[in-house]
Amino acid sequence: MKRTILSFAVMIIVILLVSFLLIAMVGSDIPTSLASFFRGIGGSTCAMAEVLVRATPLMLAALGVSVGFRTGFLNIGAEGQLYLGAISITWLGMTFPTLPAPLMLVLSLVLGFLSGGLWALIPGFLKAKFGLSEVINTIMLNYIAINLVGILVRTSLKDPTYPYPMSPMLPASTNFLQLLSPTRLHAGLLLALVCAALVYLLMFRTTLGFCMRAVGLNARACQCSGIAVSKYVIISSLISGGLSGLAGVSEIAGLHHRLIEGISPSYGYLAIIVSLLGRNNPVGIVFASLGIAALQVGSMSMQRSSGVPTSIASIIMGLVVIMILSRKSLFRCKEA
Amino acid sequence: MELVVLSSFLAATVRMAAPIALAALGETISEKAGVSNIGVEAIMLSGAYFSFWAMFQSGNVYVAVFAGILGGAGASLIHAFLSLRCKADQTIAGLALNFLFLGLTSFLFLMQFGKTTTLPSITVLKPVALPLLSNIPIIGEALFAQDPFVYVLYLMVILLMVFFYKTEWGVILHAVGEAPRAADTAGIKVHAVRYLACTANGVLGGLGGAYLTLVKLGFFQENLTGGKGYIALVAVILGRRNPLGVLIAALVIGSAEALQIRLQTLGSTIPSQAFSMLPYVVTVLVLMLSMGKGHDPAALGLPYERDKR
Amino acid sequence: MPTLRMSKIDKQFFGKMANEQVDFTLEQGEIHALLGENGAGKTTLMNILYGIYQADSGCIELDGKPVSIKSPKDAIALQIGMVHQHFTLVPTLTVRQNITLGLKSKGYPFVNAKELDRSIRTLSERYNLTVDPAALVGSLSVGQQQRVEIMKVLYRNARLIILDEPTAVLTPQEVESLFIVLRRLREEGHSVIIITHHIDEVLAITDRVTVLRAARNAGHVVTRETSEEELSSLMIGRKLQKIERKPLPFSFASKGLQLDSIQSKNGPLGPLSLSIPAGSIVGIAGVDGNGQKALAEVIMGIRDIESGTITLDGKPLQHLSVKERKALGIGYISDDRLKDGLVLDMDVRDNFLLSSYDKREYTSHALIDTKRVQQATEQAVSLYAIKTASLSTPVRYLSGGNQQKLIVARELGDQPKVVVACQPTRGLDIGSTEEVHSILLDLRSQGCSVLLISSDLDEILTLSDKIAVIYQGTIMDVLDHDKVDMTHLGLLMAGSKTRRSV
Repeated sequence: MKRTILSFAVMIIVILLVSFLLIAMVGSDIPTSLASFFRGIGGSTCAMAEVLVRATPLMLAALGVSVGFRTGFLNIGAEGQLYLGAISITWLGMTFPTLPAPLMLVLSLVLGFLSGGLWALIPGFLKAKFGLSEVINTIMLNYIAINLVGILVRTSLKDPTYPYPMSPMLPASTNFLQLLSPTRLHAGLLLALVCAALVYLLMFRTTLGFCMRAVGLNARACQCSGIAVSKYVIISSLISGGLSGLAGVSEIAGLHHRLIEGISPSYGYLAIIVSLLGRNNPVGIVFASLGIAALQVGSMSMQRSSGVPTSIASIIMGLVVIMILSRKSLFRCKEA
Repeated sequence: MELVVLSSFLAATVRMAAPIALAALGETISEKAGVSNIGVEAIMLSGAYFSFWAMFQSGNVYVAVFAGILGGAGASLIHAFLSLRCKADQTIAGLALNFLFLGLTSFLFLMQFGKTTTLPSITVLKPVALPLLSNIPIIGEALFAQDPFVYVLYLMVILLMVFFYKTEWGVILHAVGEAPRAADTAGIKVHAVRYLACTANGVLGGLGGAYLTLVKLGFFQENLTGGKGYIALVAVILGRRNPLGVLIAALVIGSAEALQIRLQTLGSTIPSQAFSMLPYVVTVLVLMLSMGKGHDPAALGLPYERDKR
Repeated sequence: MPTLRMSKIDKQFFGKMANEQVDFTLEQGEIHALLGENGAGKTTLMNILYGIYQADSGCIELDGKPVSIKSPKDAIALQIGMVHQHFTLVPTLTVRQNITLGLKSKGYPFVNAKELDRSIRTLSERYNLTVDPAALVGSLSVGQQQRVEIMKVLYRNARLIILDEPTAVLTPQEVESLFIVLRRLREEGHSVIIITHHIDEVLAITDRVTVLRAARNAGHVVTRETSEEELSSLMIGRKLQKIERKPLPFSFASKGLQLDSIQSKNGPLGPLSLSIPAGSIVGIAGVDGNGQKALAEVIMGIRDIESGTITLDGKPLQHLSVKERKALGIGYISDDRLKDGLVLDMDVRDNFLLSSYDKREYTSHALIDTKRVQQATEQAVSLYAIKTASLSTPVRYLSGGNQQKLIVARELGDQPKVVVACQPTRGLDIGSTEEVHSILLDLRSQGCSVLLISSDLDEILTLSDKIAVIYQGTIMDVLDHDKVDMTHLGLLMAGSKTRRSV
């Protein structure tokens, strides 16, 4: 037990030291930079709201990733699935601008879920039926999805009134409720929290969740016991992609209100780290997404005030994961 | 006229394929030993940055290449540490590495060169035409009038073919990846072999990354590799972990990229993204078509513990 | 001076003693048995000798000199060789590549195939072990693979050879061939240790016996001077309970399980026909790898058949899924409980209900009814005397015997109509073995059709009403329990009797 606490303490110290080192290397003043970091995440209601805004897509995508992970489906494609969700709500809003808001809301959620889900279903199906590795397939689909957005915002989803590649502003009926004007906080957060609760119920209290977890832990034993492995891999990929699709819907409906390139600063890949930090558990994911979001928002604040580059966040994140992976080994912790 | 177009298209294919092939050969060695490294992006990025930096500082190609190799090996050894010593999930370790090096190389680049509007650049390596061979019609220019990295690539393919299939070392590598327990009881140091394989992965991947800066682009920028590392992983699977097969797979993928550029220069109203998608779509399709064939080393991705009951 | 002396060896795993103050001596040029039931500590002791494990305390002396063996490499250098129970061969390499794996032969690092083949053939002739150097190990029979393993050891100049349960996978004739090889080894001056739990083998081939029981020494005798009863009582510590399999006075209405001309590419299996009447145990005798697993999986629905029918009391099964067949009352004990039977990281409850979680009695309002799950598991645990710290313990931490009992509780507890039991007592201690055997006999008297697949001929002979011999995916013959002749059985297992027409 003591070793475990020691190992976490050392981890935190190392991370702090590395952060200070990096800040110093850039020539910035450490106390000022740290101050701007904390101001950026907690110094005002606006700052705190910003953290929540950033955490929302992370939470949704990470929930999706965790459902996949637990079934043994390594979904590295959350990025692409998120974009598919974004594309779907854009298309919906542009094609049916006159729909009443409640109907629009329901349809956009359903369509977003299905689009992301179908994007993940392709590698999911290929894995279930042909045993093809989903790791490579999902990564390739990410790049395809990003390019797809690029094509669409220049062609069928383009705003004809602007020369820039983006969709027109979507009708107000697609907008999520703004929770706390003048901050950017929107109802996407509520959606994410509700999804967290639903995922918890699904994975740990339903038969479907049990079967998915069993398949992830020992697919062969499931096969011998009559649990249809293919079926659950496919369902899992659908849910996994669907939640990431919802993340895309949330970003458009709550934040951007139009489709442009680059709405996701690697949320899909960050979601994997969030899921890992949260131990593939909805409660852990909620907190981990807040943590990673804080890191991102804080580092942006540091950049604005002290010129510390945001790549420091990537370094810290990579380091955090590496430390987590090596902690038990380095400190010889004998944990169950 | 058509022959000239074909020849230059082939030459472009080889140029596109070279960095991918080098990295893929490295990953092949690693996977044959049973270690799967998704972090090839990190290795290539590291090789690209450090070779650029060394070239900029010293102006000496050999120093730059060496720096690239060290950079790649460093990244790979972190992955080896996580996979072999800490027995971590190799996919997650690879992803973490990608994040780390993405940030690290961006950070170091910014620190060294500051935020400038003009990209710092270096002179790229010039192609060297091999006598006689480069005069072969059509393919001669494409294959044998390339930069030195490409010749290193050819040499590596030959060396690895001999190594894998004609030496005891190749048998040992195969055994370690297929049945580590059998290798262990025969007295082979499984972990030592795996560490060496990971180092080789880093060296070759670092070379692949160095190619991008020293030969192809002449400059560095954030996320220079843009997914090439992942494509190298695909080449490994397509080539069935056979050095020659991997080279051919890389050429197929390289041709898709060359095609993309050619179509773009022809100019059309089709957005360039449609062409950028091409290599990725091709790889997914080819992966689907290759399904069912090929055999993964039985112990791929699994940590080996002697004491496991 | 003895060739080998191991003194006061202690070894524990996760707090449990596997070897406690164990002594073992081996004289030069003898065949010495290390006897004990499953779990007694024999393999652990030899793994320590071979450098796979390190003892917590105690010392090892070779020819009077203390040695330190930290890895198999050290053991090989000391001329100790081990043939493991689960072969350590690389299936995708050839015989020659496996034998010479890791060795620096002439022309290293290049491989001089001709030279190596020559030296292999010389060795092969000297010890009467025929092998084909160019064959892929994965394509060899189990008996042939064992010969390759022995060659491997001899090629590395082993003087002391350890064999772990060498006869577990052989036909009676192959066992005889192995004994001839062992006597040849003794003639050539090698010292041999055989780890076994088969008393008749010990009496047939060895010079001396060391018996282990519950991680400690239980006795040490000279084979010539001992008897089956003495060895048995040393090994178990009490009298062996003789199982009584009495013929049943009544018969059952059900037609039982019938397999008719089934064929499967995945095996390959067939054409195979077999009848397992209700209220009987049909034992499948055969060398491992002749289609036993395929047979079991085809009945369960894990593998498909291309033609033929499988019926349960007249109702055809071949188009039903695994789930549907289990719902009809077919229980399955796989030979690989860790891979096929359990999800190691899930707890006792989850494993007990692995296939039943979607049954209506365990769900309420689409959510799992944890109270009923708890109750059902508690009942099963107490009924089958499964020892576990709690129901939330991951099954990984249960002993092999308790893991198997959990599987038995799950698969056999719901009054099954058919039971397919593969190696049901493999790796279990005598106590658990007896429990499983009595459960199978109980099921038989309740009208169940039991298919017993085992490489333990004693088990087959004790429990079966009829014995069917399988060879290369087909049934060679079906023998009545009372009419079994061991030589005939052995010949059938090796495939050499003319097939009975179907």
